Amino acid sequence: MENRRRILVVDDEGPIRRVIEMKLKNRGYDVLTATNGLDGLEIIHTEKPDVVITDIMMPKMDGKSLCEQTNSLKQQRPFLTIVMTCRISPEERSWIARMKNTVLMEKPFSPSKLLEEVEAYFRR
Amino acid sequence: MQEHLKELEGFLTSLSQISRLSFEIHDEQGLVVSASAPCTRKPDPSEIRDLSAEILRRGNNQRAFSCRQGALFGAPIWIGERVVGSLIAYDADPPGETKSSSEAEEGGRRVAQMESFLDQMARLLEEKCALQREIEEITDELSRSFEDLNLYARIAAQIRALRFSEAMLRNLMQEVLASMDADLAFAVLPQKTVRPVMVVRPGIADRVEDWDSFSEALLRSIPEKAPSLEENYFIVNHSQKTAVFRDLHPDPYRFLLVRVMYNQESYGWLGVVSFRFEEIFRQSELRVLTSMAEQLAAVIANTNLYRDLERFMINMVRSLVCAIEAKDVYTRGHSERVHGYCKRMADRLGLDEAQQESLLWASLLHDIGKIGIPERILNKPGKLTEKEFQRIKDHPKKGFVILKPLEPLSESMPSILHHHERYDGGGYPDGLKGEEIPLAARIIAVADTFDAMTSTRAYRSAKSVQEAVAIMDQVSGSQLDPRLVDVFKEIIMKEKDVPSPCQDPTVERVG
Repeated sequence: MENRRRILVVDDEGPIRRVIEMKLKNRGYDVLTATNGLDGLEIIHTEKPDVVITDIMMPKMDGKSLCEQTNSLKQQRPFLTIVMTCRISPEERSWIARMKNTVLMEKPFSPSKLLEEVEAYFRR
Repeated sequence: MQEHLKELEGFLTSLSQISRLSFEIHDEQGLVVSASAPCTRKPDPSEIRDLSAEILRRGNNQRAFSCRQGALFGAPIWIGERVVGSLIAYDADPPGETKSSSEAEEGGRRVAQMESFLDQMARLLEEKCALQREIEEITDELSRSFEDLNLYARIAAQIRALRFSEAMLRNLMQEVLASMDADLAFAVLPQKTVRPVMVVRPGIADRVEDWDSFSEALLRSIPEKAPSLEENYFIVNHSQKTAVFRDLHPDPYRFLLVRVMYNQESYGWLGVVSFRFEEIFRQSELRVLTSMAEQLAAVIANTNLYRDLERFMINMVRSLVCAIEAKDVYTRGHSERVHGYCKRMADRLGLDEAQQESLLWASLLHDIGKIGIPERILNKPGKLTEKEFQRIKDHPKKGFVILKPLEPLSESMPSILHHHERYDGGGYPDGLKGEEIPLAARIIAVADTFDAMTSTRAYRSAKSVQEAVAIMDQVSGSQLDPRLVDVFKEIIMKEKDVPSPCQDPTVERVG
């Protein structure tokens, strides 16, 4: 049980959080949740999740800042970040390309594709 | 039992500390939650197991007596019609042997209280389980809605491309196959010239079967009348239940067909088939497929309209060109031929669709400005006067002015205006030079020059292809773009099957 993979879901929208949480829990992952980037940041530092799934537009701290502030952590301890956004613009692509181990997923997202992405990461 | 009952462990532990009661929750597999007050003796686990089994079997409150622990109480936990577990409580500090009648009475009252308390606790647990289950169901439904929404978004993105094509249809069917986790997805649109599109799940692709005939047979077997056909779909959840469909395939399957229809006009069907029965077709899947069929039908209708309009426009243009050429007996068919040469050059040069389109319109219309030139000048056999030549030289500008109000031709306008520019800058109307001249105008100039030489004109007879090519070589680089002359020569030599004047064309170019 100690080796269970840990995944953090950061999104201010309850239903989205809930759906992702359920899908991941059903596959046996430990799921942590946060409703904004600031809380997410703290959890990343304290709980050290293996995957972070984050929205971009959120109160207190947005997903972009969260990625930027956690990017250097990946040098010591690699983890995957999945950024979910409503509109994939060239600017968004370019800052995400600068982040280590970070992928983009378009909203409205498909829960099954999200799960595939996570499982593919753990298979690697 | 439900894992979330574990969350109650903390609550039951606190309760056991203040009440000096110990609690256990069991399900068919055994102990799920245990909450005991500290420093308690425990009854023999087998005693509790037996009690729980009895509760699960009978579905009512049970009592047992443990010699170590005294009385054990248990109540069933129900979910709907089923007993899913038992809630068991016992005294952490069992009283000693019952001695007096007042103690026995006290014991009896305690039992009654205990049972009523346990019942209430069990109801609470049931409620929690039911709520949890409901949340899970809602979340599950929400998750499916997200999948649908995602599919809608992707389909909308595909359809935004607006032009109907086989590739677009194939993409759509791939999306449907993946999102519905079906085995086959197909689109049959007999009204369109496209072939039926069939996509097959990889797992089933190695089965050597003629899926096209199967889908055709399915469509043929739709009954004349069915209530769902009023709403443009037809669904069969188990093929074995209907003789017609049972006979179409030895394996049982289920399928969903949706009619592609727009403004009362039917274009064909979309279909999804599955040989697996873990799931049924959901209402939301029907909705997605129906909405896709509607959008597809609208795109087809639009594309048809667009094609009609385009055909109408091109015919208008051809009539217009005929009208001008009728004035000039020597140039009949010239624009069509230039158009033909330009098309082959565009293919050879690998121009993109937009570039090709504007070039081809311009090639047809490049001489439209001649409409304003009197026939006596156009058909004059002798040399033109300076004034007459000036009228002729005005035709690119006139064409430009005539066509300018036509927005759809805006991309073609620069090449109509500049098709008489020379590569060395000595042409008209603006004296543009080299790459300043739009590519399409330079292409038209090459084709125009060649056709002018190889057809009879008022002032001279037609030259042979070889003669024309030789002259084009002479003006390559001065009048015409040399790169384009080379491309044109390649095309024309191959087509006319004219033996090249020199075996090695590079030597000729050097010469």
